[in-house]
Amino acid sequence: MARGGIDQLIGILTEQKGSIVEKWIQKIHETYPPETANFFRKERNKFANPVGSTIQEAAGPIIEELLEPRDSEVFYKHLDSLIRVRAVQDFTAYAALSIFFALKGAIRDIVGKQVRREGLEWALLEFESRVDRMTLLAFDIFMQCREKVWEIKRDDLLKRPFVLSGGMCASYMVRRGQKHLKKAKGSNNPSLN
Amino acid sequence: MKDLTPQEMLRIDLHPPKTPWMDIPVKIKPGVYCYPAKPEKLEVVGMPHPHKWSPLDDDWGLPEDWKEIVLNGMRERLEKYRSFKIFMDICVRCGACADKCHFFLGSGDPKNMPVVRAELIRSVYRGEFTRAGRILGRLAGGRKLTEDVLKEIWYYMFQCTECRRCSLFCPYGIDTAEVTIIGRELINLLGLNINWIQEPVANCYETGNHLGLLPHTFKQNIEFMCMDIEEFVGIKIDPPFNRKGAEILFVTPSGDIFADPGIYTLSGYLMLFEHLGLDYTWSTYACEGGNFGFFTSMEMAQRLNAKIYHEAKRLGVKWILGGECGHMWRVVHQYMATFNGPADFLEEPVSPITGTKFENAKSTKMVHISEFTADLIKHNKLKLDKSRNDHLKVTFHDSCNPSRGMGMFEEPRYIIKNVCNNFYEMPENTIREQTFCCGSGAGLNAGENMEIRLRGGLPRANAVKYVHERFGVNMLACVCAIDRAVLPASMSYWVPEVKVAGVSELVGNALIMEGENERSVDLRGEPIPGRGEEEVSEDV
Repeated sequence: MARGGIDQLIGILTEQKGSIVEKWIQKIHETYPPETANFFRKERNKFANPVGSTIQEAAGPIIEELLEPRDSEVFYKHLDSLIRVRAVQDFTAYAALSIFFALKGAIRDIVGKQVRREGLEWALLEFESRVDRMTLLAFDIFMQCREKVWEIKRDDLLKRPFVLSGGMCASYMVRRGQKHLKKAKGSNNPSLN
Repeated sequence: MKDLTPQEMLRIDLHPPKTPWMDIPVKIKPGVYCYPAKPEKLEVVGMPHPHKWSPLDDDWGLPEDWKEIVLNGMRERLEKYRSFKIFMDICVRCGACADKCHFFLGSGDPKNMPVVRAELIRSVYRGEFTRAGRILGRLAGGRKLTEDVLKEIWYYMFQCTECRRCSLFCPYGIDTAEVTIIGRELINLLGLNINWIQEPVANCYETGNHLGLLPHTFKQNIEFMCMDIEEFVGIKIDPPFNRKGAEILFVTPSGDIFADPGIYTLSGYLMLFEHLGLDYTWSTYACEGGNFGFFTSMEMAQRLNAKIYHEAKRLGVKWILGGECGHMWRVVHQYMATFNGPADFLEEPVSPITGTKFENAKSTKMVHISEFTADLIKHNKLKLDKSRNDHLKVTFHDSCNPSRGMGMFEEPRYIIKNVCNNFYEMPENTIREQTFCCGSGAGLNAGENMEIRLRGGLPRANAVKYVHERFGVNMLACVCAIDRAVLPASMSYWVPEVKVAGVSELVGNALIMEGENERSVDLRGEPIPGRGEEEVSEDV
């Protein structure tokens, strides 16, 4: 297996980009039940199909950035939109992130034969390392999303009126501080001191 | 998946099974379900079979004759509600509703397709009540009621917010929300209620409001907001409580009295009424417009709704004005007149300021605050400085119940356009009658089911994200207390740059009141850009 050839491989992948994107989207769809996958594929209105359109809109730019890194912000934005959805859906962490390994499969499905024919296996491994790094980045985003969910749950609990009886909204108390409480109750509320 | 060994990991198939829905057993997962009701919260209102149980246990502590109870309950309701019987019989499973539910769109779970969710119950109806279903079973789309089936029904009845978007697209007019309503009634016969609904019901029954605020706390919280108004606006307000002989009784959801950002909507009401010199009163008894009883059973909805007319009669008011709420208006508009009416001791509502007769409220005698305010603006009765809201780029979320439940589309928009210079609509298929639910209505605004809430909130948030990216929208206005309680969470996950406000809060910001100060801060005490104050003062 000869080393090098990454530029040549990128050329092939760029040429086949459309098919790779399509294949990857198909593989992402297949992580959902068949009826759902069918709907995600068919419905083109982005507001009637938010998950399908998120996948559709993110897959192309992510692959483009892998092929030729240009704008890390755009790359991150699309990765985030893809993962943000899967982070709250009915997936385990590994299933949520499996779609990035599926991209390797999609690439092999489309250009595997040509890669072997032209002896570009080493270059493919090198490119797959890019996919691996992206997957690690995706894992970061996934964790941020999950932590955000817990943060929202925590805030929700703080605001939850049932934990208080006869008092004020907790978030309001924290925000407005003691001033009004002093006025209203004529003394300090020990819990806020 | 903590049980998987490394060897098993290697054999993982990430593709979901292609088996028919009846063969896919339900897996109840944390993050999706709401906690069971505390037994004492059922006892307060005399609901059946209060007991301790957990959805994650195999044994749900069902009574021995549970199956008989459910089937008898179903039989009773098939006879009592013609609509339920029709909805069970006429669905041809065309699929028009399938992709219209926010929970399906956000989760991708086919059992969240409204047709399938209703089919969970419909299949039992066929299997237990129709001849074809009894004989042919699955061939006729029927199945028997088993514990697993019951658990599946329970799980999915609390993944429907009764928003009725699906019913808009049904060629037969099947209201799947009503199937959910009956479905919840049936599981509640076994004491399988959820606490997030049942505790507010018990509170409401005991103290008049969902939060269980006692009269003095209710009054005190409103007075707190008056102190805010005095500080931020420079106007001292002394709101009337339980005042006999007032012309108007004002009823709003208790979320406005207690929850951020609903409390700023409350400030808007208080300022508006003060400005008009309105002859009105608050009530510490009819201190809840919302009605979580509606998410429990029709009878409970009726019981909790009754206090509004009782109090109107006791206080001797002429008519009732209602605040910004969602399901409160569904109950008022579609059920109150028959639940607890006719309210012939009340008069057909007439605005004392403009003389407008609210003929649409002839039956219920209850007017929506947005109708009332829009009428005031139309008759030039309010002085408004729109520029105070110039830092806001506003879009409007039609709440399911005021829009689909009572057909109110224009009034809130008319108000917003008169109090804000920057208003942008979300895409057509996400607003007005096609509006997407906030994702947490019908009593599902708990904390423990946050994952399903965020899934359900995605379609709405997706449209908000679009107007945020395209027009820079940073404020999502709405006329529903549950929206105000839950959309901040949804926005914080999906579009964190967008905040949430009630329409009356925006009115309060723009309203020019006699004797007011320079208004350098808004009703939240936050500086209005370009009006002097850079930050909130240190001492607050």
